[in-house]
Formats: sequence, structure tokens, C-alpha cells
Amino acid sequence: MNAFELNTTIANLRDLQASDLTDYDGVYLGDIYCRLYESNFLEQLGDLKEGLHILHDQGKKAYVATYAAPRNDFLPKVRKMLEASVAAGAEAVEVHNLGILRIAHEEFPELPVHVGGFANIYTAAGAEVLRGFGAVRFTPNYELSLDEIHEITATCGAPLELLLHGKMPLGVSDYCFLLDYEEKWGVKCPDLCQKELFLKQGDWAMKSLGKGILSGKDVCMLEHLPRLLAESHRHFRIETVSENPEYRREVAAVYHAALKRALAGDGDVDERSWETLRRHAHIGLCNGFYFGRSGMDYQGLRPEALGSLPTISRAES
Amino acid sequence: MAVPVLLAPAGTVEAVRAALGAGADAVYVGLQGWSRGGARRELDWDELVAAQREAASAGRSLQVALNTIPKPEERARLFERVPALLDLGIRDVIVNDVGILAALRRRFENLRLTASIGCGAQTVADVAFFRDLGAHAVVLPGTVSPAEMREIRTVRGISVEIMIHMVEEFVLLGKCWMPSYVHLKPSPHPAVLSSTSGAGDTPEGAFRGLRQTGSMKRGGVGACFRICQQPWELFAGGQRVDTRLFPSRQISRIADVEAYAEAGADVLKLQGRSLPVELLAALVRRYREAIDARTIPNAFEPPPATLPAAWAVVGR
Repeated sequence: MNAFELNTTIANLRDLQASDLTDYDGVYLGDIYCRLYESNFLEQLGDLKEGLHILHDQGKKAYVATYAAPRNDFLPKVRKMLEASVAAGAEAVEVHNLGILRIAHEEFPELPVHVGGFANIYTAAGAEVLRGFGAVRFTPNYELSLDEIHEITATCGAPLELLLHGKMPLGVSDYCFLLDYEEKWGVKCPDLCQKELFLKQGDWAMKSLGKGILSGKDVCMLEHLPRLLAESHRHFRIETVSENPEYRREVAAVYHAALKRALAGDGDVDERSWETLRRHAHIGLCNGFYFGRSGMDYQGLRPEALGSLPTISRAES
Repeated sequence: MAVPVLLAPAGTVEAVRAALGAGADAVYVGLQGWSRGGARRELDWDELVAAQREAASAGRSLQVALNTIPKPEERARLFERVPALLDLGIRDVIVNDVGILAALRRRFENLRLTASIGCGAQTVADVAFFRDLGAHAVVLPGTVSPAEMREIRTVRGISVEIMIHMVEEFVLLGKCWMPSYVHLKPSPHPAVLSSTSGAGDTPEGAFRGLRQTGSMKRGGVGACFRICQQPWELFAGGQRVDTRLFPSRQISRIADVEAYAEAGADVLKLQGRSLPVELLAALVRRYREAIDARTIPNAFEPPPATLPAAWAVVGR
């Protein structure tokens, strides 16, 4: 059994079946942005049950995600999804929305709740409030620095789950602007957001999932694992909801090995690991907000690890 | 059927006066250093005192937005301000963080707490959550339809406000950190830069005189620089396929005033603390007439389906 937990996100059964999960400890099932995402686990409850069974058969922790920005008409389906998750033995549900948190707490008290990044936990006081609604784990808002996260860790009493690598969620919308391109591209929903789509302004890029906006660069904390472990973090996420199975497998292999080495006191990173991460990061690497700087900046000892684009934010340059 | 309250924005004492004169039942303002989007209009303490005097003399109420998310070291300073607000006769405070809301609820039982639109409430379950947390009111975006409002009003024990006049940006309010992804760093608060008398003039909420440029929600008063309203190049499979803006629109649901009232909305709220006084007064007057037309038939022209483009909210 690992001394850490390395998790990821997978949106549908096709992607789950195509993925080698050897180096993961758990998976969050479902796309949190859109009900129409291709065969979204959160809508296809038969697939969800099968997905949960697949994870359990592989000895993985099976978690279920929920929508980041629901409307009233989502809620009946959310209830059915939570019911199905309990019946299939999901280990926990991740909530980003406070109304869904209340539903989970009141109607499915046997289901542990993880609070996701869109729930806007910025302080220990906020986390404490949600603990009263049954939350047992938190992903703090992505805007927080490691110093601010440490303040939460010191007083919260519940573990935090941190994004280690991958494209960081930056926003969620009620609308999918990709629908504007159905006719022009001859591609219909839900296939539109399966394309590799980036929005760029000069050196600044973001990845589009239609309703979801992610960072263009991959957050990379590979060389900062010793600090994360020293600050008692043991639950980590590699965000791969918009990535292919090769990305999912190879990036996890890098981090799984690096975490084990770091726990043994070896914080060095080999060149092959860097090469793997660089190959998968088409826009480049960044640290998110972990060092109190602009989310697209990178701080570290290995500037050559970065991708092809400049890393200092435009406004600062 | 109850008549909804008309809640207007104001960014200056003059705007407070104009909104009241145009028929607002209540006005909300931002307290300098503590309100979201603070680079726009906020009131310092002396202005707040003057604004409250205006509201009280008109028999109306003034609400104060304290809707940043203070850092732990800033919270104590925020809490110290609350007794002075209550002494002024201000009981309604708008907040944006569940931790702050719960803490204020525990400490100040006379305070009426509103969960800001930035809290992201959109559903019947969200409203029930904030009711359970002790909120007196919750603000919903104008994208919530009258039909949704009807379902939401099945939740008792909390007042429900609808932001009936607002800009809907592509990313939902309270769910966006695109600006800080591009540019986030501590920078001197504008009021500090213009100060000539040293640290004593550091605005409250600006811890050590700094703010987090780029973050709308963080302590120290963030500022959104509207990156979403600049043109983007869209790349598909590595090829540039379009240059475009994110979709955004002005929501002015004046034609739905009746429908929201029938659905049980308690408050019709207008966005726009930075609107010029003359536009603000005209806007408030239009909504006042639309509300009054329900109870005084034939007294006013039917409300237009849309409002002039010049009334677009240019800031919150």
C-alpha cells in the first residue's frame, strides 16, 4: 500500500476501458462541466456502475464527480447518480457545488464527500463550515499558494487533495461556444469538444472543453514533491479529463516513481521524466498558483524543462 | 402577492441620492478595501456615513458589500468594522465566502447577511444550503428564469434576490480565475499610491497596502481586467481556425418583472456600481415604473422588452 494516494479523472467508459491505471490509486468518474459530454458517466448510470466495478476489480478507489455549476433541472439526475454510486460502492463523491453538497449530506449520509476546486475553499474557516456538511477531504481553490494551503492544513484537520500535474481548471460556463462551429466544421456535439482546442492571445493559451476552460500549460510540480511531502500532503491529482490514455499512463508513471523516491529522501528528477512531461505538454509547463505568482508562471531549478512558449506572464514582462 | 423590493447599486454618495430619488427601495454600496471588483467605485468610511444618512432620511435601507474573501490575517480587521456598521444603523451586509458568512452569523446576531452572486447559487438546493448556513438572503443571476425561481421559492426562511439587470460573461461569476492565471501579483493599492501621509492611509482590506491584482475574490481587493472580452485565436488540431470573442450579453429582464414577482422573488437587484449617475437614475426609474405598473394599472407605459444599449452595465 502506498504512503500516498495518486488520483485522476475519467469522463466516460470508453476512456476508462482504454486506460492503464497501474500507477493510480483512485479515479474520479465523470465530466463536471457538461451533461452532453460524450457518454458522461454522470448521465449514463449503467456505464457508471460498470466503471465503478472496473475500478474495484483493479483494486482502485472509485470516486464519483458531480457537476460544477448545476441548474434545477440537473438535480433529479444528480440524486439518481448518487443513489447509483452508493449502491455500487463508490468510496466518495466529489462536489463542487454547495447545493449538491447539501443533497449528499442529507440524503446520502453514508457517502463520504470530497470538496472540489470549484467550491471556492480559500480559507480554513470555509473548509470548517463544509466539514459541518460532511466533507472529509478538500481541494482548495486553485488560486491559493502553498503557503496559504499550509495555513488550511494546519487548522483544518481534514486532508487536502492537490493538483500535481495537468491542465488546471480555470472556469466553467453555462454555454458551449463550440456549438457555433457545428455547421462550419461538420462536427456535431458531443464530438466537438473531443477535438484538441486551444484559445490563444499571444503567449497566453487556454484549453477549451466547450463549457470548461482549462490552463493551456500543464501544471507541473515534479521537482517540488519533497516540499509537498514535507508539508504532510499525501493526496494528489493528475488532471487528465481532457487527455488521451497515453498521457494518463505515462505521466502517472513519472509521478508514481518520483513520489516513491521523494518519500525515500531522493528528490532528484531524471531526464527521462522531464522528456516525458515535455512531450505531453504542448503549450508548456507552469506551477499554477502554488508559489503566489501568476498561474502560468513556472518556478523551479529546471527552466529547460519548460515548453516552447515564454513563461513569464505578459503583464509582467 | 408581495411587491418585490428594488435594490439599486451606487458607487458614490451622489449615486446613492440619485437611486433613492429614482425610486429604489434600497441601495447597496462597497466599503473601500472590502468589496469585490474594488478598482471600481467604493465608498470610504466618511462617504459611507453620508450615504447611510441619505438612506435613513429617505426611510430606505443601505446594504454594504464586504464581498472579498479576506485572508486569515485580514479577517479580524473586517470583524472589527462590523459593530461600527451596526452603530450606523446598517444591518445588511453582502458576503462572498461561506467561512465569513458563518463567522459573522455567530458573532453578530443582528446582522442580515446576503450571500453574494459570487457565491454561485443557481438552484433550489443552493438556496437551501445558504438558508441552513444562516444567510438572510441569497442573490441569483438573471440567467435563472422565472420558472426556476418558482421552484426555488419553495425554500422557506430565506429571502431570494434576482440580479435582473446584469452583464452575463462567458464564465460564471465566482467560477473564474482566468485573469489570475495570466497575471497575479501583490501590487500597491491605488489609494496607497496616491496617499501622501503614509501607512496610516492604507485602506482596510488591503493587508500591508497590497492587493492581488488579477484575482476577483482574494483578500486585499482583487481586480478583474476583463481578459474574456478581448479577441482570442481558436486553434483546432494545431491550426488557427478562427478569431473570436467569448460570448457575453447584457441581461435586462425588465419585461419579466411581473413574472419574477409572481414567482416569488423578494428583491429585484440591479448591477452597476460604476454606472454614471444620470444613467443609474434613469435605469432605476424604469424598473421602479415596471414594478409599480403591477399595482397601479395603466399608470405607466408598458416596460420595453429591452433597454437601451447605453445602459449596459460596465462594472459591478
